Amino acid sequence: MNKIPSVGIYFHYENNGYSNGLNKQKIEKYSDQIPGVRYIGNSHDLPPIDKNIFIEKLKGSRVSKLLIAGYDPGMVKPFFTRIMSESGLDPTNITLCNFRDYGIMGRADEQMAESLIYCAVMTVNPDEIINKVVKQKNQDTLVIGGGIAGIQASLEIANSNHKVSLLERTGTIGGHMAMFDKTFPTLDCAACILTPKMVDVGLHPNIDLMTYSEVKEVTGGPGNYKVKILKKARRVDLKTCIGCGICSEKCPAKASSEFDAGTTLRKAIYIPFPQAVPNKYLIDEKSCIYVTKGKCGVCAKVCPANAVRLDEQDQEIEITVGNIVVATGFKTFDAGKVANFGYGTFPNVLTSLELERLVNAAGPTGGNITQRTKDKKGNWIFTEEGAEPESVAIIHCVGSRDVNNHQYCSRVCCMYSLKLAHLVSEKLPDARITEYYIDIRAFGKGYEEFYERIKQEGIEMIRGRTAKIEERNGKLHLRSEDIINNKLIESEVDMVILAVGLEPREDAQSLAKMLGIDTNKDGWFEEANYLTDPTSTHSGGITIAGVCQGPKDIPDTVAQASAAACSVIQNLITKKNKTLDKTVLISLVEEYVNKLSEITEDQI
Amino acid sequence: MNNRVNPGFKKELQKFGMSEQWNECFHCGNCTAICPLSENEVLFPRKGIRVIQMGLKDKLASYVEPWMCYYCGECSETCPRDANPGELMMTLRRYLTSVYDWTGMSRKFYTSKWWELSYILFFALLVIVLFLIYLPLRPDAYLMVNESGGVMLNHLVAGISGDQFIRIIEFGDWAMAIIVAFILVSNILNMFYKIILSNKSFKVPFYAYFTEFWRLIYNFVTQSKFSKCDDKNYWVGHMLLMTGYTTMFILVVVALPAFQTEKVVDWYNWQRLLGYYATFGILFFLTVVTIGRIRKKDIKLQYSHSTDWLFIIMLGLTTITGIVLHIFRLAGLPAATYYMYILHLAILVPMIMVEVPFSKWSHLAYRPFAIYFSRLKQVALSKQYSTGLAPAI
Repeated sequence: MNKIPSVGIYFHYENNGYSNGLNKQKIEKYSDQIPGVRYIGNSHDLPPIDKNIFIEKLKGSRVSKLLIAGYDPGMVKPFFTRIMSESGLDPTNITLCNFRDYGIMGRADEQMAESLIYCAVMTVNPDEIINKVVKQKNQDTLVIGGGIAGIQASLEIANSNHKVSLLERTGTIGGHMAMFDKTFPTLDCAACILTPKMVDVGLHPNIDLMTYSEVKEVTGGPGNYKVKILKKARRVDLKTCIGCGICSEKCPAKASSEFDAGTTLRKAIYIPFPQAVPNKYLIDEKSCIYVTKGKCGVCAKVCPANAVRLDEQDQEIEITVGNIVVATGFKTFDAGKVANFGYGTFPNVLTSLELERLVNAAGPTGGNITQRTKDKKGNWIFTEEGAEPESVAIIHCVGSRDVNNHQYCSRVCCMYSLKLAHLVSEKLPDARITEYYIDIRAFGKGYEEFYERIKQEGIEMIRGRTAKIEERNGKLHLRSEDIINNKLIESEVDMVILAVGLEPREDAQSLAKMLGIDTNKDGWFEEANYLTDPTSTHSGGITIAGVCQGPKDIPDTVAQASAAACSVIQNLITKKNKTLDKTVLISLVEEYVNKLSEITEDQI
Repeated sequence: MNNRVNPGFKKELQKFGMSEQWNECFHCGNCTAICPLSENEVLFPRKGIRVIQMGLKDKLASYVEPWMCYYCGECSETCPRDANPGELMMTLRRYLTSVYDWTGMSRKFYTSKWWELSYILFFALLVIVLFLIYLPLRPDAYLMVNESGGVMLNHLVAGISGDQFIRIIEFGDWAMAIIVAFILVSNILNMFYKIILSNKSFKVPFYAYFTEFWRLIYNFVTQSKFSKCDDKNYWVGHMLLMTGYTTMFILVVVALPAFQTEKVVDWYNWQRLLGYYATFGILFFLTVVTIGRIRKKDIKLQYSHSTDWLFIIMLGLTTITGIVLHIFRLAGLPAATYYMYILHLAILVPMIMVEVPFSKWSHLAYRPFAIYFSRLKQVALSKQYSTGLAPAI
């Protein structure tokens, strides 16, 4: 039998909600039962503040080694290094056991945590036991989400001569990037970069594009997933539709356009935008008169190609894939939640996405930035004839960096606000443009330079978040503290842009459950290791890319999508799929340890 | 002015109420922007948080802005960091009260419950002992009921006439008022020195002391700044309390002989009407605040310092004993009236002695004076700006 040195164990939990669901007492109790292990304390009951308590405890329990387990134990390692040396022990004799590295997020993962602790006590690398390699049975890949991340990942995998199924929920691929006018910091036209890629996807022989479809159920395991897909009724035949647009011209029903962020109306039979891939029409069930009331059918009558299938039903199909790339992206923060900004009440308080469409030449006003005006029916709409705003205010951090909404920084808002300010000043050179910010986070390559450039263009930057927007005589009244110039600013503007943050999609949680991947406390998908493995998840064969993993800009999204594709291709070429066995038992660890000790004894 | 950064200052401030929550502040300016009372020359609360984070003690002593804050709570509700600037302003008001108080008592009372309680107990016992020894109940007190059935309040003490009794009580009243006023006025002078005189960067023109004087009176009477807060009801309630309290104060100090009469006057006489108004005003708002502080739903009443509770309890007990005293008197119970009278004074006297010069009550004086001083400062600065002698702030 091998002799176990006396080990002191300390648990470090962070107050960020990761460890909330974990039965900590059970783990602590277990760790105390391992022979040779002494329980020292945990960071809730015994925070690492007072050195003397720990020195006494360590001396009292006569340990020679210290094991720090929990979430990010490296954070407190320096503290304990000092304590070890001050209590006369070897300060290098500290072992760390990070639960987060193995995806222990609290849902009855105590057993896994116990195994990890046992491994650490036995000085066994848990990877040897926990990591399992399974055979890559299926060579196909499913990419969920047809935004820039999904497109990039699909193209990378397809170009390496592997089959890809690209699943998209809406009628076209392109995602949020297709809605943007320009990209920062280069001010390239977003559509000019994206649409060639979209066309590539549409024409690629290795890519099976499934638009207007959703994942229903995922079964099976790494290397061999069975995915049930709901193909929603498009009611227009993809093969025969020639995209002529006569149906849409004649259609009497209207609904708010998703692609134009609700700034204008579209028909019930529509094409999301002219460059859509596939460039075919589809019928919106909610607004179509035939679907809701059972009569109309004008589109079917006028269609020259006989492509309209008004009675088509939803279909469910099942495909089998070896790997899954999740690139479901984000939704923008609902600005109406911040009541003080009056979004939804004041017609000329817009979100950044709405302005993005307004600036765009293919947008509702043909690229003219105009205020919302009342039409004959009393609705507030954008028209080309509307008055141009003389002054525009952009408010940063709406919904981000705020304990009442999202505490995280959405990372892109600063830069896109600067970009929008530039675009507005380009179109309206006489307009007074003001940005109200907390901090400018120009973090990327060429970003700080872009910020300097925007400042040179005469855009007023005010450090001080506004708190409230009021409407007085048709003008929007803003109040802000100008922190740098030490004064209170009251200004009246024609238009206010709210730089809304990013948040996970509503159904991100249910998708995560389906796929067996973790989400963090904000709802973003959790990667295997933030620093060293940002695309893998703890479910083998499932990789994540883009904003669904956490807010990021387009360059980072593209980079991550390529990285995700890389790990998929690696699996496909080696025909092996590495996975993490979460149900690892302590008996397995013991077996492994016994095997090791037998070897050493034999060698002796 | 000593402007050295002092990170240890937060520990000192913590004793006055708020924990280190304000350290969360990342200076977004939300609080200043949403504050209905913040103006261009008096920017708060964010600037105050900055001063505290740096620990600039001397700057803080001359910082007048906390008195401009009436704690409507909007800043705390919308703060993106939960730094609770509203409560910080409240804490700062407590701290500044102790800074202005040169005797050091205020600091003792705010930082130690036991000091305050023993001080109160001392005065309560003093009143009771003085009464029982020098103004004992006359043996034939049960006869002291007049024809209408009410107790003849001023004839309950053995050995002295009714006039004498009134004069003794009046003397006590005035003595207390003068002591309290002396401390309060000297504290206000200290405040004046700290805010105006010690600041060498501006000089107040002499005429401004007179031209701006009306603000002092106006803000004292109307509390018009309070009414700018969104919750107007709270201002009305506070107004009821303030006017009620002031009415009672005048009745028992200035107009005692007319108020504490021998005969129980009819209900429609001014003494009784004013007395009832004052009682209602105080009791109404006290009830509202007590319920609010217990329920902790309203942000401005969520955090209660021990001195807040003490003020409520003392004022509540004074009012209740006053009411009971009135009932006993009307019911014709001489002995009960006498003892209730002592009890009433045994709560009232320590309350005045602790609250008026040293504690929460003093804001009645500090607030209007702060507005006055801040105006003086603004006038001085704007004059200096116009003559090109603007200092660096």
